[in-house]
Amino acid sequence: MISSSLFSTLAMLFNLSLRNIVRYRRRNFFLFAAIAVAVGGTTLSNALIRGWQVDMLETAVAGLTGHIKLQAPGFADDPSLQNAFSSLTPIALGEEVPILGFAQRINIPAVISSERETRGVALVGVDPANEGISLYSDFVIEGEDLSGPADGRLLIGKALAETLQTRVGRRVVVIMEGADGKSRERGYRIAGVFDAPMKISEELLVFTGLQAMQAALSSAELSRPITELSLVLQAEEDRVVAQRELAAQHPQLVVKDWREMQPQVAEIVDLVDATMAIWFFLIMSALTFGLVNTLIATVMQRTRELGMLRALGMNQRLVLIQVVMECVGIMVVGVIAGLLLGVAMVFGLGDGIDLSAFSESVEAFGMSTLLKPVLTLEDLLLFGGLSVLVGFFASFFPARRALKISPLMAMNR
Amino acid sequence: MTRQTLHMSLVWQAVICVVRRLMLLNLALLTLPCSIQASEKLDVVALVAGSIDQTRGLSSFAEMSMLIKRPSWQRKSTLKAWTRGREDALIRFVAPARDAGNALLKQGERMWTYTPKLNKSIRLPGGMMSQSWAGSDFSYNDMSRSDKWLRDYTLEHVGTDRDLGFAVYVVDAIPREDAAVVWGKEQLRIREDLVLLELTYFDQDMQPVRRMESLAVGELSGRVMATRMRMQDVDKPDQYTELEYLDMDFDVDVPDRMFTLFSLQSGRSR
Repeated sequence: MISSSLFSTLAMLFNLSLRNIVRYRRRNFFLFAAIAVAVGGTTLSNALIRGWQVDMLETAVAGLTGHIKLQAPGFADDPSLQNAFSSLTPIALGEEVPILGFAQRINIPAVISSERETRGVALVGVDPANEGISLYSDFVIEGEDLSGPADGRLLIGKALAETLQTRVGRRVVVIMEGADGKSRERGYRIAGVFDAPMKISEELLVFTGLQAMQAALSSAELSRPITELSLVLQAEEDRVVAQRELAAQHPQLVVKDWREMQPQVAEIVDLVDATMAIWFFLIMSALTFGLVNTLIATVMQRTRELGMLRALGMNQRLVLIQVVMECVGIMVVGVIAGLLLGVAMVFGLGDGIDLSAFSESVEAFGMSTLLKPVLTLEDLLLFGGLSVLVGFFASFFPARRALKISPLMAMNR
Repeated sequence: MTRQTLHMSLVWQAVICVVRRLMLLNLALLTLPCSIQASEKLDVVALVAGSIDQTRGLSSFAEMSMLIKRPSWQRKSTLKAWTRGREDALIRFVAPARDAGNALLKQGERMWTYTPKLNKSIRLPGGMMSQSWAGSDFSYNDMSRSDKWLRDYTLEHVGTDRDLGFAVYVVDAIPREDAAVVWGKEQLRIREDLVLLELTYFDQDMQPVRRMESLAVGELSGRVMATRMRMQDVDKPDQYTELEYLDMDFDVDVPDRMFTLFSLQSGRSR
């Protein structure tokens, strides 16, 4: 009985709020528009920032790092084949940690020279079949791909090919350090030239077959050495468990996750969440002032009306609820319109923003030249909910003003 | 016999005489690889090996001047070099004062540089071997591997010219597939008396990139050899490096300690 009377009271208040909103069409339209544009803009910018974050994470993981990487203990200080381990190292993770794949590589510094130029690069011995997990699979290759792990030819980046003034089918000389610590010099033929999304990988990475490289460089002690084993999981969240298990299985190796391998990327990825919150806070606080201002004006305008309602027996609590309802109502409608606007803008961007005009500065941040916005339901709900919450707190000032209105004061107007 | 035919036979005899003397001269000049011209098939390996050894001997001492010419400046320095066999060499600048003491030691494939200002000798990493030596147009590689043509290349005799009365053999040196050589080919022009007249480096489009020419040929310490050489990039005609032998001694008694790191750093130039 009580609940039904409470419900009918609330329904009445809701009705009253709705009518009040509809009554000042023009003013409230502009208010809606302001909220919608602010929320829509925030949604879009957050989708872009989120897209950047996802892109950086993917780039970091795909760029030969993987989610988890195993290396010999001394390799970080002395990246050479003297700090290698056996390619027979087993990877055994339970059912609960599904993996996408892993790749064994030799990744050592080398010097590559053509007739005209000499450059320092990272020479990476790979088995192309296992590189589906890394950026290797995204390469657009001119010429031929490496045919397999025994292919003793090179795959070099387009930018490097331009610097060296060489091309597919040409020979280059590579100088590297063998497992015995002595430098080896060899002529290599270029099988293909790859085009990577990031110029830095085109400049720095040179690929060749893993077995061919092992044959050229290995020593008697370790017949098939690798310097790294990189692992990509199906879910990034499993990384901690997987890292712990692998570290327990291979105490003689260093097991690192991508956050340790690329700490600056990890920092930026973390920073992105804070950036989004700050961005949201700035826009919303600006909006709140507008909202408060409008609502106070509305309340002041309705001094006589509210005074009359009080005189008719509407108590302070109901006045409070009515003003809050009105405020939250405006906010809810504005936010919904804003979210729709934002989603529409994100879809309008479609394939993303092409940043290749700024490619150098963009790549310095470890992101690719195509910025794809990423919308997540959590973000939408979080920002929608937070906006309504902001509206709720913003109604404090107009509500306080409304509470001060008494029938006597209204009569004196 | 008419006058006419007598005259002809006299001319003919004179020609034969000249040819004989030339052949005798050849025999005298070609010591070890004297079989070079024996058949119409030229023994290219012997020719190139002979040419390499022509400027060496068991050991040698040389005094050279080096002129580095650039569009806006040039620099002339003097240096001394000792060699032993095909493997070991020590080169030290003696003038001008600014460069004096800078030295380069080669032991087989390994090389060290020494700079008195730093008082430190540095082992050259493999990656630096293709860079310029002492600011010249010569690279460390040019200084280090003289017998590379015999090891890493297939040699082919592609033609014969004549120059000042000498036959000049043009030899293409094509690098083997996995040889650590960036060039498409190297072309050597070797005079029949084993003087290397010209060496051209071709890129893999077979366009000439660098060229070393012998500007003067003379006799030093009993051997006929190129006494002045110029190395330059083909597309930069106004910059080059010239190396001139001022004095040369073959088969001198060079102590073993000459080719050590200690000797490199001690800075003494005999």
